[in-house]
Amino acid sequence: MAKQLFEWDYSSYPGGKTYPHLFKPIQIGNLIVPNRIKYAATEDNLNGRDGFVTDAGVAYMRERAKGVVGGLCFMQGVYMDEKRQGQGYVGQAACWDDKFVPGLKRIADAIHEEKAVAGFQLMDCGRVGAVDVEYGHGPSAVPQRLRIFRPVKEMTKDEIKEMIQQHVDAARRGIEAGFDIMEISGIVGYLVSNFISSYTNRRTDEYGGDIRGRMRAVVEIIQGVKAVCGSDVPLGIRLCAEELLDDVRGNTPEESMETYKIAEEAGVDYISVTLGWQESIYPVISRDIPMGNWIHLAKRAKAHVKVPVQMAYRLFRPDLPNKAIGAGELDQWEMCRSMIADPLMPKKVLEGKEDEIRHCVACNLCLARLFRDAPMTCYINPVCAHETNSEFADPQPAEEKKEIMVVGAGPAGLECAYMAAKRGHEVHVYDKRDNIGGTLNEARKAPYGDDELWTCVEYQQKMCELAGVTFHLGTEVNEDLISDELPDAVVLATGPVYPALPGGPHANGVNLLDVMSGNAQVGEKVVIWGNRKPGIGCALYLAKQGKKVTLVGREKTAGFDVNPSFKWRYMIYLRQNGVKAYNDCEIETITDEGIIIRTFDGYRIPVACDTIVNSDRAANEALKKVVQSEGIELFVIGDALVPRNLSSAVHDGYRIGMRI
Amino acid sequence: MQFDAEKEIGKVLSGLRAAQGEIGKTFYRWRQVALEYAGDGVEPLDVGLRAAEVFGKDVGKQLLPRLNWLKGEAAFLLNLGRALANLWQVDGGVATAEKGEKPTEVFIECTRDPWPTWAKEFDVPMQEVALTREKMLRSVLEDVSVFFNIPLDIEVEKAIPRGEGMWRIRLFKKEE
Repeated sequence: MAKQLFEWDYSSYPGGKTYPHLFKPIQIGNLIVPNRIKYAATEDNLNGRDGFVTDAGVAYMRERAKGVVGGLCFMQGVYMDEKRQGQGYVGQAACWDDKFVPGLKRIADAIHEEKAVAGFQLMDCGRVGAVDVEYGHGPSAVPQRLRIFRPVKEMTKDEIKEMIQQHVDAARRGIEAGFDIMEISGIVGYLVSNFISSYTNRRTDEYGGDIRGRMRAVVEIIQGVKAVCGSDVPLGIRLCAEELLDDVRGNTPEESMETYKIAEEAGVDYISVTLGWQESIYPVISRDIPMGNWIHLAKRAKAHVKVPVQMAYRLFRPDLPNKAIGAGELDQWEMCRSMIADPLMPKKVLEGKEDEIRHCVACNLCLARLFRDAPMTCYINPVCAHETNSEFADPQPAEEKKEIMVVGAGPAGLECAYMAAKRGHEVHVYDKRDNIGGTLNEARKAPYGDDELWTCVEYQQKMCELAGVTFHLGTEVNEDLISDELPDAVVLATGPVYPALPGGPHANGVNLLDVMSGNAQVGEKVVIWGNRKPGIGCALYLAKQGKKVTLVGREKTAGFDVNPSFKWRYMIYLRQNGVKAYNDCEIETITDEGIIIRTFDGYRIPVACDTIVNSDRAANEALKKVVQSEGIELFVIGDALVPRNLSSAVHDGYRIGMRI
Repeated sequence: MQFDAEKEIGKVLSGLRAAQGEIGKTFYRWRQVALEYAGDGVEPLDVGLRAAEVFGKDVGKQLLPRLNWLKGEAAFLLNLGRALANLWQVDGGVATAEKGEKPTEVFIECTRDPWPTWAKEFDVPMQEVALTREKMLRSVLEDVSVFFNIPLDIEVEKAIPRGEGMWRIRLFKKEE
């Protein structure tokens, strides 16, 4: 007899009408889930190094549970072995002993208090595990391609049996902790996927060989866990539809679909479709991949199995999964990063407040942080991982209402403006441009998905509107205006300045912003001075137009300011577009024919060019002295303080807005 | 453009040659230190072979992210052969890799090898130079073979330190 844990009625909500397929129930095993939304298990590094759940972890999950409005809310995957070979993240939750159950119960309880379905995931990280010990484990001792991962020891048959039992024991503990639905993680290079893949499973015993042999350990895990779950707790599995490992002789797509069928035969109640491995050379989830790019894999999975099919992977907009579910190509919409960026994302969809969603910009900073043993951080959401800190999560009204002048309507200024206004201040935003967005107006024109960055401004604009911020666009702030207005506080979010080109002037020296906005004459041979993100964006923008572009800058590597989980994309695109980069260099001389570069160790290289684009930025000191001389409280944020990136602008703005 | 290309290229080449010269010297200086610490009763050749194994294993690990199977076995072998030839190139040697008659073999030829010259400066026997190079190349193949699931080996047909005028090495897939 199927059961529903909590009653939800979406009929009166606008989102229920706009996206009817997202807000209709589905039966998984004997559980009726009221909608098609799932926060998928995502590591956050918020637990103790000993694997115990922390207040920060509980608060993080509670926010996501609110967001799924009755749907599935999975806590991060737990590792299950005391030896910690299966632990892939320093702050991963553990479940190798009953002593972890009370902490896990706190998370299940928090999810239930928000009337959502609590999901528990079993995740041995296999060859990408052993984060704190000397050796990882796997079906075969295949060397690591990426040196950040530990060497792997081949598991004996006894160790395989032990590992299967660990899954079973951990599942029992999850159920004791109060979780309603169970999931096995078999994705991105974790242990289950190691057994399945021909790349990492070279065994010649019954746990290796053909795809059925390689699935044997997985089948035994499914059967063991299923026995513990009984008929009340549904069991699912996350499996690769495509490993994207053809460069290292991984599974074929046909073999992957075979794994779906075998898992279904073994008794799973749903399958979550994933793709790619951490070792894969192909991009899967960064913003250079179009939205909805992978939906065909869910459709393919649906053609092979009868159980419900779930999927995430670049489905940031509700219309995509709504359409796919309606067309019978998908059953449930999973989210990870979009609910890291905005934990209430699906709730806002339901309430018809889509313009209040802070969209993920698919930069993968969250992943970069996790891989480097740091707590979860979001590029665009300053509250992420600070949910337990009320100063961040619930900024209190200001004790004294102030009149605040924010100079600059870029991301830093807008973020600060709405937050300060929300706290009760009277906020006026000035910008000499006629529109908001600052330099993001130009940055969004860079290729490979940078237009998605603009969602940040759209969100901030809506927040400013709701908070009652007053805009004075087309108005340049100067000494007289400050003296006339005499605000209580001034926030300088004016963006950077562009220092003169080193090496002297050039007849066709132009500014990055003029190039990106189409207001500069650019020749066919272009040197871009400045090898940070703005320079890279401009280089790709011009190279896509067929120009010969050379990137020159002081940083030791191009894209020094881009997080490593996205930077590799830019490096590939620079190469593909024929952009030559000279890093750790100065421009020594500018001549009529081009420039002479001087490397850090004194070598000189001539580069012919007809145009030099200046993308090098510096802090903006303008107006500081004026404000200080008037005795007005002063804050400087974003690139005006130190030129950095969009994330720093947003985080600066939020933090000053909540404290001013 | 106020730029003396000949002068600048000369400066770069001079720096490169100096750096290359230090590669072999540094190796043999460390060999000397290792032998002093190892004391009597240790065969210098054994020390050299162990060093070659460590070098080779590490080079093999470096190659893993750079090789791929996307164009099939023959292209994979040729790319690997080129990578092995390049080990001489970066040291200041001259080496190439060419397809063999069979799709499962590649020939690496080195016509100029700086290692025997360096070895002479440190009184290292030529026999050791030949064997350590062979050991290093075989050690490179260990992880590459396992990672790409292809049994690889080499066969040294000619060796400069054996007085044969050139290195000619057959890289091949072992019969399973």
